[in-house]
Amino acid sequence: MKNKLNQEYKQNISVKDANLWYGDFQALKGVCMEVPEKQVTAFIGPSGCGKSTFLKCFNRMNDLVPGCRIEGDFKIGDIDVYGKIDVNELRKNVGMVFQKPNPFPMSVYDNIAYGPRTFGITKRALLDEIVETSLKASAMWEELKDRLNKSALGLSGGQQQRLCIARALAVKPKILLMDEPTSALDPISTGKIEELCDELKKDMTIVIVTHNMQQATRISDKTGFFLLGELIEFGNTDDIFYDPKDERTERYITGRFG
Amino acid sequence: MISSKVKERAGCVIFTVAAVICVIAVIAIFVFMLIRGIPALGKIGFFDFLFGDKWSPDRLDTFETETLSGSYGIFKMIVGTLLATVGALAIGGTLGFFTAVFLAFYCPKKLKKVFSSMINLLAGIPSVVYGFFGIVFLLPLLANFAPNNGSGLLATSIILGIMILPTVVSLSKTSLEAVPRTYYEGALALGASHSRAVFGTMVKASRSGIFASLVLGIGRALGETMAVVMVAGNSVAYPDGLFGSFRVLTANIVMEMGYAGEVQQGALVATGVVLLFFVLIVNLIFGAISKRAIACGVNGKGFISKAFNKIFKRKEDRKENKQPGAFKSKLIKIKNKIGEVKDGVKYKINSSKIGAGFAIGSGILSASALLLVIGFIFVQGAPYLFTHPNLLFGEYQFNSEEITILPSIITTLMTVLLSLVIAVPIGICTAIFLNEYAQKNNIFVRLIRGAIDVLSGVPSIVYGLFGMLTFVVIIKGTSTILAGSLTVSIMLLPTIVRSTEESLKSVMDSLREGSLALGAGKMRTIFKVVLPSALPGILSAIILSMGRVISESAPFIYTMGSVISAMPSGYLDSNATLAVALYRLAGEGWYVNEAYATAVVLIVLVLGLNLLAEFIAGRLNKRLKGV
Repeated sequence: MKNKLNQEYKQNISVKDANLWYGDFQALKGVCMEVPEKQVTAFIGPSGCGKSTFLKCFNRMNDLVPGCRIEGDFKIGDIDVYGKIDVNELRKNVGMVFQKPNPFPMSVYDNIAYGPRTFGITKRALLDEIVETSLKASAMWEELKDRLNKSALGLSGGQQQRLCIARALAVKPKILLMDEPTSALDPISTGKIEELCDELKKDMTIVIVTHNMQQATRISDKTGFFLLGELIEFGNTDDIFYDPKDERTERYITGRFG
Repeated sequence: MISSKVKERAGCVIFTVAAVICVIAVIAIFVFMLIRGIPALGKIGFFDFLFGDKWSPDRLDTFETETLSGSYGIFKMIVGTLLATVGALAIGGTLGFFTAVFLAFYCPKKLKKVFSSMINLLAGIPSVVYGFFGIVFLLPLLANFAPNNGSGLLATSIILGIMILPTVVSLSKTSLEAVPRTYYEGALALGASHSRAVFGTMVKASRSGIFASLVLGIGRALGETMAVVMVAGNSVAYPDGLFGSFRVLTANIVMEMGYAGEVQQGALVATGVVLLFFVLIVNLIFGAISKRAIACGVNGKGFISKAFNKIFKRKEDRKENKQPGAFKSKLIKIKNKIGEVKDGVKYKINSSKIGAGFAIGSGILSASALLLVIGFIFVQGAPYLFTHPNLLFGEYQFNSEEITILPSIITTLMTVLLSLVIAVPIGICTAIFLNEYAQKNNIFVRLIRGAIDVLSGVPSIVYGLFGMLTFVVIIKGTSTILAGSLTVSIMLLPTIVRSTEESLKSVMDSLREGSLALGAGKMRTIFKVVLPSALPGILSAIILSMGRVISESAPFIYTMGSVISAMPSGYLDSNATLAVALYRLAGEGWYVNEAYATAVVLIVLVLGLNLLAEFIAGRLNKRLKGV
């Protein structure tokens, strides 16, 4: 049992023929994709095209949505995401950062220690170390090292979002999902988070949903274009933006869609 | 981490069990009322019971007797109840509406907070204190104009009016403040004065919310027992003008329950059923209205109103399908004409200015009502407390002039403790089950919610009745503190469940998602993230429940005793809580000073708890926001 739970998670994701329904509405239609390890993969597309929905399949956050039905093969390495696995273990390995910063109403320290504590780490020294490395990894240590015991809700929006990234990093995920992480932030904070992505991809796979196409060109290696629940085109970011194969992709990136 | 799965399962089981207990309690009350009430109805005759105007029960009547020698008609009391409610609405409703307008639009910002919390404090004052105030202040005052001692419809209406005031004010104020500011600005931009904008636009826009607040006020007035008992006179008669003794339904139960014969007891339970029926109707109307008021920000009440709405909607659909006939269109034309004329008149006499005057006057009147009730009792009672410390700390002596309320204080504390120990965990777990585990649209869950909604409107005397005929009988045969505590803990359940649910709902889903996305389980998410965020709301609900236990008296009289006696030695003793003691002291007319002093103690306790609740909620909220 224990062995099964602690299965080693790889860092590449492979999806075959994914279909998803919210009640009667089909939000994903036959999506196939290979997300390579230790790269940044961006999903672009107009609102409601299913890119966030698709992202949330990777850590099974869609389980929380009543009436949501999923078909298809989702594999991380050789682990079947929708097979008999411990969902909590999955979410530990596949971290997530949300559109709106959602720090818990507790201190900065407790926010970051929340994940490790969930998985049974209680030694203060060890926690201190995790908090420090996580904050350093998200480039916030200098800003926050004197405010660790202050409430996280007192931070600015950009700081809160980076804190959420640090919080996700604290459980040492193999893959990090980001759902429009900068849409609620000012340009300076956005820049900081983009730099962070570049830094983080040395250690982990990053999948990011974004509305901002410049952002996709700036930070991603691969890009997928979604439209009405279908993956229209997926490939190297440069190819998608400078040499799109599909006419719809071209129309979207040149601004003729939403 | 093997235990985490076990924990999850255990948690789920505990929450479900709590919800089931809650449901059983709810069902038990309804079933009990029906089982005990219906046979008596059958014996007496449905029609004779509801519309008979003679009530002279015979204790010896049993279900075996061929013909009843007593009469059991409650029509006079139904009329009395309805008239008292109308009176309360006329006084409390009008005053409350204008006070709400005053608070929302006329009150200077600095005063607003003070005024609002003063009005809220009115809600915390125990009903026996209102009744006592009625006896010592209002009745003597009215006696100057009355042929009798002042008791009767007018006194009852005034006291009930003051009691429903906070309900009406706070709900109306909420819906007035929820009207978009742009409406007001739009009216001003058309050249309307402040008052015209307020009465012509804002009040109109929040009509349904205000109406809902009045309906809720009606509910409160219908179910009130002790205060009415103390000022209505209670002889079985139609209210004869403004003065003259009459009896309401709740009073009927509390007056006769203690010595009722078999059929009589059934008839009293059936009286409770009638009350329950009234409350149900009020709830239905409230649900229907507040559903429509949702647009204005007043919360709806779930499935009952939805059903109601569907019916309404169907009717409207049918209406739309019909083309108005020639006659009807003529009628509409006439109606419009009348409207035009009316508007013209309105504009000329500038009714909004008068409204403004009313609003300001009402605001001041409401606030002074509170000051009067509290001030009068304090001035009369506080000095006595200081000169007679024995009242508070003395030892109980049998047959002595010198009484002490120390045993009552201890009894009250024991009751608060036990009832909270029972009701709080069950209530919170039920709320967690409903909000975190149950599927949102499950019919079963919606039924639970509906039942809890109804239960929260049930008059407290009905709980007393239930406790007396179940807990008292099962536990010892006579009243015990245990039976009283159990009774009141059932009464607390709906409030605790509802307010906990509200605070759980107000915790943003993004926090739950954040925790789950880190790999935390449901239990950990609930206990470490959701509950801490909901804590201010839950804590203040608990504190307010404490206040409620202290201030209630109707559920205790026949479940835990109403005689001030020696220090209780355990939960199987019988004793009077402070509120019941005040009822006793005030009713006997022998210990007036002691009664004043007891009222002071009660007020201090309850208001202290109210302030504490506000303070804690504010403090925790601040901490949560990281200020």
